[in-house]
Amino acid sequence: MRVAIAEDSGLFRSSLALLLNSLGAEVTVAVPSGTELIAAIAASPPDVVILDIRMPPSFTDEGIRTAHALRGLHPDVGILVLSTYAESKYASLLLEVVNAGVGYLLKDNVTDAGALMESLSRVAAGGTVVDPAIVTRLLERRQQPTMMGILNDRELEVLRHMAEGRSNLGIARELFLSARTVETHVSSVFTKLGLTQSDTENNRVRAVLAFLRSGGPER
Amino acid sequence: MHGTILSLPAGKGLRGRAERWRTRALLSKGLWSWAWRHGHQRLLGHEHSSWLATTIALTVVACFCAIVEGPLWRQSTALAAVNLAFALVLVLTGLMLRREPGQSVPAMALMLTGIFRCVDFIDAWNGPWPAYAIVFGGVDRVFGAWALLRYPNPALSAVQRRFLVALAAWMIAGRTLIVVTSTAPWMGGSPSWWWPTLDGDESLSDVLSYVVHGGEGIFGVTLIVLLAMRLVRARGVDRIVITPIIVAGIAAVIAASATAAVMTLSSIATTPNYAFLAESVADFAIPVAFLIAVVQRLLLIRNVTELTARACADGDIGALRSALRDTLHDPTLELLDPSDASRVAMNARSAGRLVSYLQMGAEAPIAVVIADPVLARYRGLFDAAMRTSTLALQNAQLQAKAAREELELVKVSRTRIIEAELAERRRLERDLHDGVQQHLLSITARLSAAMTTTTDPQASAAFGDARDGLKAVLAELRNLAHGIHPAVLTHSGLAAALEEVAARLPLPVRISMPAGRLGAAVEATLYYVACEALANVVKHAAADGVLVTVRAARSWLEMEVADDGAGGVPAGVIGGRGLANIADRVGALDGEVTIDSPPGQGTRVMVRIPCG
Repeated sequence: MRVAIAEDSGLFRSSLALLLNSLGAEVTVAVPSGTELIAAIAASPPDVVILDIRMPPSFTDEGIRTAHALRGLHPDVGILVLSTYAESKYASLLLEVVNAGVGYLLKDNVTDAGALMESLSRVAAGGTVVDPAIVTRLLERRQQPTMMGILNDRELEVLRHMAEGRSNLGIARELFLSARTVETHVSSVFTKLGLTQSDTENNRVRAVLAFLRSGGPER
Repeated sequence: MHGTILSLPAGKGLRGRAERWRTRALLSKGLWSWAWRHGHQRLLGHEHSSWLATTIALTVVACFCAIVEGPLWRQSTALAAVNLAFALVLVLTGLMLRREPGQSVPAMALMLTGIFRCVDFIDAWNGPWPAYAIVFGGVDRVFGAWALLRYPNPALSAVQRRFLVALAAWMIAGRTLIVVTSTAPWMGGSPSWWWPTLDGDESLSDVLSYVVHGGEGIFGVTLIVLLAMRLVRARGVDRIVITPIIVAGIAAVIAASATAAVMTLSSIATTPNYAFLAESVADFAIPVAFLIAVVQRLLLIRNVTELTARACADGDIGALRSALRDTLHDPTLELLDPSDASRVAMNARSAGRLVSYLQMGAEAPIAVVIADPVLARYRGLFDAAMRTSTLALQNAQLQAKAAREELELVKVSRTRIIEAELAERRRLERDLHDGVQQHLLSITARLSAAMTTTTDPQASAAFGDARDGLKAVLAELRNLAHGIHPAVLTHSGLAAALEEVAARLPLPVRISMPAGRLGAAVEATLYYVACEALANVVKHAAADGVLVTVRAARSWLEMEVADDGAGGVPAGVIGGRGLANIADRVGALDGEVTIDSPPGQGTRVMVRIPCG
């Protein structure tokens, strides 16, 4: 797998490249900013790019902006945005601008080799990954926002695994259910959230987005 | 002013007391002018020479009166001495009265009263003097009435002027008639006296005598009425000043009437000298009353000092107004802000009010005083009060301004401290986040890489342990950084930061606030207030839910943390040290914190911060 990295902290960038290399991935580009990354991969796009969310010049959400730009230039390249903030706000922002082949991971989990590789391959395959820590925090909340209130516990559990980027089969394995049962739950979630499009992959992202937004403050 | 007006005996009494009528204004005009000009101008102009001028004036008057009374000193030393003393006291009073602005006329009238009292007794000399003494014997009373009616007004009223003219005319004309219809022996005098008898007719003279003196009695009653009217009409300072004078005047008129009645009823021989003596002594009440009045005016000015103390102590315009009302004895006095133009105009328009602007030099006036026009007569007192008020008010305003500026400085510096603290917290948080955290993450990543590369299971396990340890350190570091300043507050704003806080609380928190970011200091302050309030809800309220509402208006921001708990939480419990800190932070932004916790109705913590 070919990976390009945009990360402003040199130390972490080199460590991440080291880790990826050790995991058998090929790091084609490792630069400190999004604009440099876009320039560097123009000739030969990688399978996945890893973007730090905070980069120069403003150190706020450059990662998300770069992701948006990249998706226009290279629709097939998977995007993994790294952050140290376990905020659902940035995850939902990301999923709003890039709706497939995208992931939002916390740096803490990136250093977990298995989780990193799994996320990279899911993103490369066009899946959507949201860091389990963010998903867990959303679910831990006692208050049940109105939209999430309409899902039952099992459906919520299925949605959570969807958010973490698992396929129906993966969810079935995880929850010790049959694939058919999971499918039923998934379509029930879509129906309850008013997602009637036939494109199920798109519906998955929308469902996750709805889930992430439910954690946001009332506006 | 012996016996004032009613003291004139009639009929036989009149003849028995012939020596009392004989007088003539012997006072040379030159002497008078000298005493007037030198004595009083010196008195007014030079404090050092005033005692000298006064002494000279009194000496001149004393010598003059002593000479005029002449033989009376042998006949009745006591009466002569009392007359002289009376004249001197009246002159002295007149000299003091002269110092008051606009009071030279009553002052002169008083002095003339004293001098003419002595001239009344010129009949002790023989020759033409007894006849003159009768004709001009009432002049001292006219002057006395003049002083009583005039002081301290700037002028006589038309009625008062007509009264005095009529009195003078009646006395001089009536007595002239008595003299020309009588002879010296009829009047108890010696035939050697020069007497201008035109048509000696004793019974006609007697009738005339009763008529003239009866008329003088009516004038006396009229004077009492006029004086009483003055007292009734007087207001404020006027009343204080004239009361002793009017009372003494009325008393003197009544006392004189009593003496006159005694004289009229008794025979020539039996009317005793001591009756006149007693009456003369009683007349001293008048100069004493004038002296009291003069002293009263001086004391009133002294009260202005007290006004300064009162006005300075309180400083506000209301306190100064009531102090001025007390000091100037004018309950209608108004002290207005000059910017309140309509009220100033309205108050000033009401007939003839005295308007005075309080101002320092050419500066804009700081207040307007609208007072009873009576006070215009007490210019010294009024001006002193105005000057004092101006100073007191200006002083108070300067003090208030200084206090305001100081407060403003304190506020600015408090805001600066809060902002500096906030910036420092954010810097520290960022240092931890971007520096230490990135370092630790790099090492974690390298440990993971090492784990995957090594083939030695023991080494892999060791790397794994080290990595897990580092992850724990990272978590702690993140908590520490969050405690210093939540990054989410910097990056995503108050709503997201509160959302994060709410997620960790064991009860549902609803957050309602407008979209968009607020100022960094405001967000941080509201964040800490909300954290404190939410912590209190968890600790004390036994609530099922909390609602955090932020409302923004054009000029203020409001946050309310309301729970549905038991309420009735004592302020002491809610307002611990945490809340004191919060009140400080909110105060630094010029805002305020209020806590409302009625039993059974939940607790509401409200913060209001001005903005824009």
